[in-house]
Amino acid sequence: MAHPPPSGSVVLMDWYRSVEGKGFFSRIKRKEKRRIFGLLEAPPIPPLINVDTVRYKVFLSGKSGVGKTALAARLAGLDVSSVHYETIGIQTSVVFWPVKLRDSGQVLLFRLHLWDCGENALRRFDHLLPTCKEQLDAVLFLFSFTDHSSFDDLPGQIARGCDPSDNVVKLVVGTKFDLFMHTDVTEREVKAFQEQWAVPVFCIGGDACDDLQNVAPLLNTLAELLWHQDCVTVGAVPANESAVGDTSSRAGH
Amino acid sequence: MLQAGAVQLLCLTASSGVPLFCRGASKQLPFSVIGSLNGVHMFAGGQGVQLFNCDTDRGGRVLWKVFHDSVMLIAVTGQRSDACGNLQLRRLLDNVWNCMVLVLGLEELTNVRNVERLKRELRSCYQLIDTFLDVGKDWMGDLTHCVECLLPAQPAVLQDTLNAFAQAAESDFGCLLVHGKMVVATDKWWRLAPQEVVLLAALVRTLGGSACCDCPIFLPQGSPTVPHRLLRFQLLPGVNVCMLCGPTPTLQSVEGELVVRFWRPLVDMLHGCQALHQRCFPGSVGLHRDVLALLLINRESSRAVSSVHPAPSAPGAPSPIRRWELLRLLFTFATTRYFSQTEAPQKGEQLPPPEEFAPGFSDQPQQCYLVTDECKFFALQTPQHQLYILTAVSVPTFALRPLATRTLSTLTDSTGF
Repeated sequence: MAHPPPSGSVVLMDWYRSVEGKGFFSRIKRKEKRRIFGLLEAPPIPPLINVDTVRYKVFLSGKSGVGKTALAARLAGLDVSSVHYETIGIQTSVVFWPVKLRDSGQVLLFRLHLWDCGENALRRFDHLLPTCKEQLDAVLFLFSFTDHSSFDDLPGQIARGCDPSDNVVKLVVGTKFDLFMHTDVTEREVKAFQEQWAVPVFCIGGDACDDLQNVAPLLNTLAELLWHQDCVTVGAVPANESAVGDTSSRAGH
Repeated sequence: MLQAGAVQLLCLTASSGVPLFCRGASKQLPFSVIGSLNGVHMFAGGQGVQLFNCDTDRGGRVLWKVFHDSVMLIAVTGQRSDACGNLQLRRLLDNVWNCMVLVLGLEELTNVRNVERLKRELRSCYQLIDTFLDVGKDWMGDLTHCVECLLPAQPAVLQDTLNAFAQAAESDFGCLLVHGKMVVATDKWWRLAPQEVVLLAALVRTLGGSACCDCPIFLPQGSPTVPHRLLRFQLLPGVNVCMLCGPTPTLQSVEGELVVRFWRPLVDMLHGCQALHQRCFPGSVGLHRDVLALLLINRESSRAVSSVHPAPSAPGAPSPIRRWELLRLLFTFATTRYFSQTEAPQKGEQLPPPEEFAPGFSDQPQQCYLVTDECKFFALQTPQHQLYILTAVSVPTFALRPLATRTLSTLTDSTGF
């Protein structure tokens, strides 16, 4: 993956709070709650407004019980089950996320296809992991703040998950951050990891209220990294720099 | 009088009585009690007696069933409850066993080499098992073992699209489900055992808001040792199209290339089906406004239509959830007491008939009714159909039979069910 640009240099991070942003975000909601879109549906954007939809595939990786299904539900604005149920096979969710680019002011609608597969199923059936990794754009590596072994396993997970030279965006997400009393993983360890691996780390936790500000930092950063990766791949931006070039051409899947 | 209660489910290995899991009631039975329940069964077995069920003097009930000499399931209820008669509990144990086979496959369950590993693997079944244990259900397939259907106004277009879509995805098995009810399905799908189809519909129910799934499953009757891939796509909220496939095609290729191409032209029709999901039959079929709930079963094809909003409800009528509960209880009542020839006798089980007149009676009951404080109930059966209706208390009892016969003919004539 290309060297990550400084946070907020490609995408406006607070845009969802602005008047213009709220107008777009109302399209992914229904009666103040996030709307579930079937595969035949999409957010109703008036045709006069020039908004391109860009599609990306994101794989959630992590041990059983670490919170992959819960994270996917949280990002999509759905209810999160309070009981842990193992995921049978692959389950995917679609998250629509409007984003405004800093330099050109262009608004893009990101359609993030989150792929979540139960660890047991991955182990028992060989065909599932290749299916998940096919035409992949990003991987979210999950660990739980209440389980130190899942944090220790991160480097191994990242090595197994993808090649350092490929064009896949990588992000680490620590779940159950709110369970402070049981925190096994300290913030200092997280910082050290972030510096060593140059991979952004996000902390998620607490009750999944359907508030955009819970998920906006993660989704905006993910969008930023994906867009930047595409620009680098196309050659619009040199891989070592973090400035954004011409956004009118993009390569995606 | 008619109350439903919670059931606790225990699973143990048949050979050694090692507990594998407990689901159901929030307070689990202590290990000593579980051990005794297993012990009693084993003792009976040692004496050459097969123990099926037992009633306690405080109204509780225990049911045992051993599957493939490998796994024993025990259902325990603690309170006097009509919902927990033998029929429901037997169905529950069969359904739970089928859930386990669906997720893990028969091999895993019959060749138990490592008990700890089996316990870990069984955790994948919990979500599906919990839907069968759930008390406030709004569906009846688990009890009737019939496929619950929704009868759309124009099935032909939907059928053609489904057939073409399944063919493009290299599959012979495909179906369209709206909130768990079957709208159209390919021929081979209809030829699956009804219990399997009910199970697959229940599985799709648990998948909730996700967009697509690729789940490896084993068909308990059709293919218990060879897995298939269940591909499922949520076209609109609650509207799912499912297929059973082999190793190809990939989820990504079907989702990216086929789903929108085949189904986008039918969006309006799918919205129409979505709107019908509580009524389950077209708006053009008129029903008497005092019919609160109905269950129509086609005995030949093992399909059913169940509905608790056939007409706007009157004040003082039971709530929709209560109507589902009543429909389940009264279905069990009619089936156990009067329509019992439809029940295949369980191997070796010789239950005394619940009604005294039954042994000396050579005729088969065709209709029955029940009057309670909350509602009135009428059930009738013909060689092809069974109809169970729940009506308001205000309906005169003598009017129940003509109401039921008219409802049956209206439904069957206009929909061809």
